[in-house]
Amino acid sequence: MSALPVVSASPVARPATATRASGSAAAGWSKALRVVFALVAVAVAWEAAVVVFSIKPHYLPRLSLVLQAIAATPDAYVSGFLRTLAESLIGFASGALFGVGIGIVFFRVPVLRDMIFPIFIVSQTIPVIAFGALVVLWFGNTLLAKAIIAFYVTFFPVTVNTLLGLRSVDPRQEALMKSFGATRGQLMRQLQLPTALPQIFVALRLGASLSLVGAIVGEWFGDTTGLGVLLLQAMFNENAVGLWAALLMCALLGTLFYGVVAWVERRLVFWGAEQ
Amino acid sequence: MSTHAPSAARSAPFMSLSAQRGVLGAVLLIALWEGLARGLKLPTYTLPAVSQIFISIWDQRNVLVGAAGVTVAEALVGYALGALIGIGGAVWVSMQPRVRGFVLPSATAFNSVPVIAWSPLVLLWFGTGMASKFVMVALAISFTLFLSALSGLDRVDRRSVDLMRSFGAGRLAVLWRLRLPTALPLIFAGLRVATARSVLIAVVTEMLGANAGLGLLIYQAVVQVDFVQVWGAVFVASAASLTFFGIVSAIERKIVFWK
Repeated sequence: MSALPVVSASPVARPATATRASGSAAAGWSKALRVVFALVAVAVAWEAAVVVFSIKPHYLPRLSLVLQAIAATPDAYVSGFLRTLAESLIGFASGALFGVGIGIVFFRVPVLRDMIFPIFIVSQTIPVIAFGALVVLWFGNTLLAKAIIAFYVTFFPVTVNTLLGLRSVDPRQEALMKSFGATRGQLMRQLQLPTALPQIFVALRLGASLSLVGAIVGEWFGDTTGLGVLLLQAMFNENAVGLWAALLMCALLGTLFYGVVAWVERRLVFWGAEQ
Repeated sequence: MSTHAPSAARSAPFMSLSAQRGVLGAVLLIALWEGLARGLKLPTYTLPAVSQIFISIWDQRNVLVGAAGVTVAEALVGYALGALIGIGGAVWVSMQPRVRGFVLPSATAFNSVPVIAWSPLVLLWFGTGMASKFVMVALAISFTLFLSALSGLDRVDRRSVDLMRSFGAGRLAVLWRLRLPTALPLIFAGLRVATARSVLIAVVTEMLGANAGLGLLIYQAVVQVDFVQVWGAVFVASAASLTFFGIVSAIERKIVFWK
């Protein structure tokens, strides 16, 4: 399968795995402390850079101004945050389920894989914005339409990596389990899926950020709430402070989403991803 | 491909079995699409027939080729910039272990912000010309490549490095003869994923603000409710990214011949 746009072996660092061995509460606290320290350092550097280099607010407004803007109208940002969260979460969850399911089907039925997989690949080269235009047309300017766009960008990497993971099962282990009379279902649940899990989570981490992109782009077709709407409104008003405020919210949502998926991964794939 | 056609092994087979099935799948899809659109007499804003879309592409070929040229140029320049920055950054980090602890978490954090969210800001900074698209594509590509190149460079066996060192190889020699060749498969995996991404980002950014390009064309067609035109532009954009993908895959097979 050399021609696939494979989301190859974890391109993203997983800093937490290194500390797991000494996974005491103290290590956790010191890690959290370091993150807080880094955040504060970035905030101070931002504020200082704007003042010291007298950067125009058009390019980079002071962080304090951005935070004030959020504090002044918190309702718009909170409701936008929740709306975009809902859209991307629904799309992500359905995309993940569908991706794993179809990956298993493709693994079991090679004829279907050969027939449909190339179509999936081609479908992913369709710019999401164009697809979004059609989805919004078909389903109206609803939460569902955005969730479908998020679904569309999520399911493909999950399918690819599920298939890849299922194929990486050691045939000797399979033969051993079969020789003890394991059924196909047992084989899948106890050997094949657990083996594929690390690969699947690589795709899920990617899907978490992608689904957010899908939701934001979907909102650009003229919604009234959501982080994408806030971004667009700020752009049209050339309101740099509003733009950075919306960006900060996007960053918060993206990091949160990614963090939760990575946390679940550490819980489920406790044996660590073998690369 | 695991399922080759043993029956066609007498002479050089024209196509493997899986490729034949792939073609069959595509033909079935197009037939289904055409049949649905014509049979149910669906209005064009729901789903135009494939034949209708291709006719429209042919009629509009001058406009479409011009727009595609702009988009492809934006994607290519941004792609080259992003690849240079990403791979260069990964090499730098792998040579300087001390900056790693700082750069890697920031890159991961930065990467979890949806790239597309930057485009209004980039448009505000760089205007609606091609420069803003170069920046957006480069931004999107460089992180993908930085992370995949770095994980490739990290794959090097410590003992191989020690062996080369013991023969008096310098750091550059280790990089050039050992680290980069080891990292190439993963770098190319990143480059392949980045092809479709670069066209996509260019189109999306164009839609928000541009003077020319497929994204602008799609946006205008959406506003004018000309959905045959939307589909036409979508087909052209997909063809462009598929071609780009094919070219990079071909180069990959030439360079990473051992895989």
